[in-house]
Amino acid sequence: MPEPIVAVDRITKRFAGHTAVDALSLSVPPGVIFGLLGPNGAGKSTTIRMILNIYAPDSGTVRLFGESGTGRDHTGRIGYLPEERGLYPKMRVLDVLLFLAELKGVDRRAARPKALDWLARMGLSDWRMRKVNELSKGMQQKVQFISTILHEPDLLVMDEAFSGLDPVNSQVLKDTVLELRARGKTILFSTHIMEQAEKVCDHVCIIARGKKLVDGTLADIKRTHGGKHVLVNFDGTRGDADRIFADRRQVAKADVSGQFAELELTAQGDAQEILKALVTSGARLSRFELAEPSLNKIFIDLVGPEAATASARPDAEVSRA
Amino acid sequence: MRKVLAVVRREFVERVRQRWFWVMAALAPVFFGALVIVPTLLMSKGGVKRIVLVDGTTSTFGMELTARLDRESLFIAVRVPVSSRTSDSLMAAVDRKEIDGFLIVNDVAVDSGKVMYRASNVSSFVTIGTLEHVISEMVNARRLEREGVNPALVQKARIPLQLDSKKVSGGKETGQSAGQSFALAYFMGIILYMAILLYGINVMSSVLEEKTTKIVEVLVSSVRPFQLLLGKVLGVGAVSIFQFLLWGVSTRLLLSQRAKLFGGGDGGGPFQMPHVNGSTAAIFIAYFLGGFLLYSAMFAAVGAMSSNEQEARQAQQPVVMLLVASFISMFAMLNDPGSTLSVTLSMIPFSAPIAMPVRWAAGNLPLSEVALSLGILTVSILGVTWIAARIYRVGILMTGKRPNIKELVRRVRAA
Repeated sequence: MPEPIVAVDRITKRFAGHTAVDALSLSVPPGVIFGLLGPNGAGKSTTIRMILNIYAPDSGTVRLFGESGTGRDHTGRIGYLPEERGLYPKMRVLDVLLFLAELKGVDRRAARPKALDWLARMGLSDWRMRKVNELSKGMQQKVQFISTILHEPDLLVMDEAFSGLDPVNSQVLKDTVLELRARGKTILFSTHIMEQAEKVCDHVCIIARGKKLVDGTLADIKRTHGGKHVLVNFDGTRGDADRIFADRRQVAKADVSGQFAELELTAQGDAQEILKALVTSGARLSRFELAEPSLNKIFIDLVGPEAATASARPDAEVSRA
Repeated sequence: MRKVLAVVRREFVERVRQRWFWVMAALAPVFFGALVIVPTLLMSKGGVKRIVLVDGTTSTFGMELTARLDRESLFIAVRVPVSSRTSDSLMAAVDRKEIDGFLIVNDVAVDSGKVMYRASNVSSFVTIGTLEHVISEMVNARRLEREGVNPALVQKARIPLQLDSKKVSGGKETGQSAGQSFALAYFMGIILYMAILLYGINVMSSVLEEKTTKIVEVLVSSVRPFQLLLGKVLGVGAVSIFQFLLWGVSTRLLLSQRAKLFGGGDGGGPFQMPHVNGSTAAIFIAYFLGGFLLYSAMFAAVGAMSSNEQEARQAQQPVVMLLVASFISMFAMLNDPGSTLSVTLSMIPFSAPIAMPVRWAAGNLPLSEVALSLGILTVSILGVTWIAARIYRVGILMTGKRPNIKELVRRVRAA
């Protein structure tokens, strides 16, 4: 097992009478896309900020690149895209990029051709001497993303990576992330949107209320938390589906939404029996598939519906932000 | 250190690129120039005063005084004998601006020293000063003659006094008159007050901008908050020094062209262009930097505590008041730079940046006092910066309600 790029050991952070992160440990191996998943208010941003040494943990340690030193000491090797995006509105685009690269320890003269190159790739060449606040929101997002990777970091950390991105930028981001991984870089990002995580992540760690619920490779998690799953698509007529799905001897859980259903079978549940029962009851099916559970399903099972209340505490939000 | 320089560079370049910087650079010398030139113009425009001397004496005193006043370049004096209606008709003449004023002299004047002067303007201290000087000289001479002193001897004893007041500094004469000292102290006070306020608030808005645009999170993941604060203060400080240089050069230029521009001579007004020597400039710069560092640290803390412009405007009030109080007390100090109040104010670190340079310019100071004041200021800067940096570190990542004093103390302790 190679030395992890990020090794977090039992870090805890408390804010005014509320524990945001509680003895959380995780380990990000090199060259993977690692998803830190959790509902709003789970402690994702706080964890990321502690990894980057923006906050100091109350207890526990963070080790980066297998070396000593804080996130700020290694800042030249880390790119960070925070949840709340923002640039200097009155600065010229190129100047912002050069300034942020300088803060990462890159020489201005060395950063300049790279910045121009990235601006060209993102179709922003004509805007390089314009002020940031003259750009559209989508263009500003691109500029901010360039600033995150301009210094060629070994570790890219993105908080709520895809939130607020339009579909085009979302695709650009995803392509670039995959390209970076292909070049051996490590990507750590947080999100509460499971579909995105499922598409790109190799590893995931699910947290809720500051505590880790599960972590591992996506495949492992699906295997251990999967059970037997069946995906069903109706083609108009549902027959007696609701009664069949309610049979607790066969079906442990059913997640039904209109013409689609995801079933988790019990240990003795038999997919063939269910299929037979559905067809007999007159349901028309366009799909009946034995499947791995979706990450979203695992997530909801683990976190539970009450997890949403964790983020509803106003004092928690104030001190976290 | 390279990162601090990057922050300094950004603060400097972005500010100097802004339009208001050049507007300030262009307008300020015009403003200061006006402060110097307008009073001079007004004084010289006053020109010669036409006065009437109402002579109620039975001796030749009235006639002699008229002749003596007429010899002064400032006056055209005419003597009229006293009559019951003179006073009223002369008042009317003053009203019609036919004459500028009139003197009433009678026999008791020599004994009591009481002489009446009625004029449309009695606030010009050049006019009043000259009148007082001439009359007391004449009265003295007359009294002595009455006691039997030889008129020739009186004439001889009457050495016209020309008090050549020059400020002594560092054991040397500075070639600076009392009027110039006053003007210098006055200008330094105004400039220090304006510059510390302006650039302190600049630091505050810079902190606030990074907070409201959320870019601060990226910044503090790359540099330590203290480096960021340091770079910011040094950058804005460099802009202020650059602005001073521009002001200095352009004011010099403007003043050298003064004669051509306004036609008048150098003028004898109270606002003569003071001579700024090396040590005065050093004191000015030292206290400006001290004041700027002290106040900008406080303004930075205010910016970090607030989450928008309105909040910041409210939260900055105590800091601004501190500075305004120091500025207002300058006028008391100009009167008596050596008073206990003045000495105390020049030792308190929050008022010292204005008080000490004002006292220095107005009168000679023992170097030990300057050293003590600078020492207190330095220690205070370190202390205040230490506290402000802690508030800053916690504040820049905080949103929501502005903390009250109690929470603030807790934060500073915890940070």
